Amino acid sequence: MAYFIQRLLSMAVTLFLISIITFTVTNILPGDVAMMIMGTQSNPAALANLRENLGLNDPLVYQYGRWIFGMLTGDWGNSLLFKQPIGPIILQKMTASALIVLLSMTIALTLAVPLGVWSAVYKNRWQDTASSSVSILGVSLPDFFWGIMLILLFARALGWFPSSGFVHPNEDFLMALKHAFLPSLALGLGLMAHLTRMTRATMTGILSQEFIRVARAKGLAEKTVIWQYGLANAIGPVMTVAGLQMGYLFGSIIVMESLFNYTGMGWLTYQALLNRDMPLIQATVFVIAAVVMLVNLIVDLLYPFFDPRIQLK
Amino acid sequence: MSIFKKFLNFKGIIGITLVLCVVLIAIFAPLIIPPEFATKMDMRARLSPPNMAHWMGTDQLGRDLFYRVMLGARTSINIATSAVLMSLVIGLPLGLVSGYFGGRTDNVLMRLVDTLLSFPALLLALTISAVLGPNLQNTIIAIGIAFTPYLARLIRGEALRVAQMPYVEAARSSGATNSRLIIGHVLPNIMPVVIVQSTISLAFAILAEAGLSFLGLGTQPPEASWGLMIQASRDYLDRAPWTALVPGTAVALTVLGLNMFGDVLRDVLDPRSQS
Repeated sequence: MAYFIQRLLSMAVTLFLISIITFTVTNILPGDVAMMIMGTQSNPAALANLRENLGLNDPLVYQYGRWIFGMLTGDWGNSLLFKQPIGPIILQKMTASALIVLLSMTIALTLAVPLGVWSAVYKNRWQDTASSSVSILGVSLPDFFWGIMLILLFARALGWFPSSGFVHPNEDFLMALKHAFLPSLALGLGLMAHLTRMTRATMTGILSQEFIRVARAKGLAEKTVIWQYGLANAIGPVMTVAGLQMGYLFGSIIVMESLFNYTGMGWLTYQALLNRDMPLIQATVFVIAAVVMLVNLIVDLLYPFFDPRIQLK
Repeated sequence: MSIFKKFLNFKGIIGITLVLCVVLIAIFAPLIIPPEFATKMDMRARLSPPNMAHWMGTDQLGRDLFYRVMLGARTSINIATSAVLMSLVIGLPLGLVSGYFGGRTDNVLMRLVDTLLSFPALLLALTISAVLGPNLQNTIIAIGIAFTPYLARLIRGEALRVAQMPYVEAARSSGATNSRLIIGHVLPNIMPVVIVQSTISLAFAILAEAGLSFLGLGTQPPEASWGLMIQASRDYLDRAPWTALVPGTAVALTVLGLNMFGDVLRDVLDPRSQS
């Protein structure tokens, strides 16, 4: 419990720093919100008036205070692009992205763990070389390139999956999965590479330990030795790396959702950046950083579940 | 002798060959190929498949893909190298100071670095690029800043380890100053890790540049860039898949080469991590 409270406190400090960085970076923008609302050709007097009304003449510290107070009390302001309150938009897009993030992580883990174990068991044999080649190819291709290839193959040539769009899971779950599948697969293939390498490295270390030799010596089936004795000990570090990959994933969804016109958080961030929708940029960047941090916290808290020897202090 | 031998395995040879080829193309292609070759439009030969006149086919404006992909090498290598150098220039002193002195300096600096690490690198790079206005120079700055926290974190860990070594202690007791200890004793001993990480960062920087340009927030037309070429190919995938395959393969081969080279470099320079 003490550990949990300590982590929460440290999270609050990090969130505060994240908000400062977000606010600072977005305020280097030339031109301000008033200019964006009224356009560059607008009447200077009206512009000055609007600036005063929006509080853009106040010192930056005041503006920051107002912004962070709004964020904390649920008033996230209005998007200039969509002309709607930001909070509900982000909530809806987050649901869409959660589907992609979870699906791609599932795809990556289901492929990477067996492949990594296989590699470690047949270390330095052809099976190992084959799996290493697959994973090095996975990291080397940009994920949007995977995306394009998957569109060509599964959407255009075979017609199995739609190549763009988003369906909300509440409307039609199967269709939602179909729309999310190709972008998730493209992301999963990129993720898989790192996870395979991690699984292989951890498994190699564990398979060379004494208790594995003992398990073999007392006549346990090789299957039990590898999956129950070996993998049970290797899964902790693999899950930690998977948690850390969440950050990478939340960066990649910006490219992937734009490619597939999948209207989730990544697509929203991209639209905000392209149209210089300042309040929306601030909110999306802040929310993504906060979510990445939260996911890492959850992985840390789940660690004893994967490895009962670990106690959180 | 033994060091050279270690490079001569399958992975090493392929990695070095690929990296060497791309670097040579990046340096010499712009000197040999007249710039108009890559911008000359031939509307009658739009989206033509690979043939004798155009080895790799043409794009939607009838421009020769072979020349464009060759010239794109310079853009990619240029941006990736400058960005990684920039993150080294900021991250190396930061990590060294943080790891060497420890204590409060370390706490404050690493807190900042950890916060920056909560921002996905691509998101940070995209935001910086959008804020500064996308062009070649700002793409370098954006990727450079986005990569800095990763390097700083790694260098800090290494500096911390080396600073506790007996030989550093020995130098300190014989009266060496802090700056002399950092530059003369800590820095040279963390160089292997820095070199390996920089090589791997180069691979990531090339992917990041391609991603940024693909989204229109990196290199801007008419500059030839692999990411831009893939972006342009999106509308013609059905009729002309080669417009995506040519630049995509170029990115893949470059990153593949850098990754393999980095792996072998790690085995040679950093024997502790050998698997």
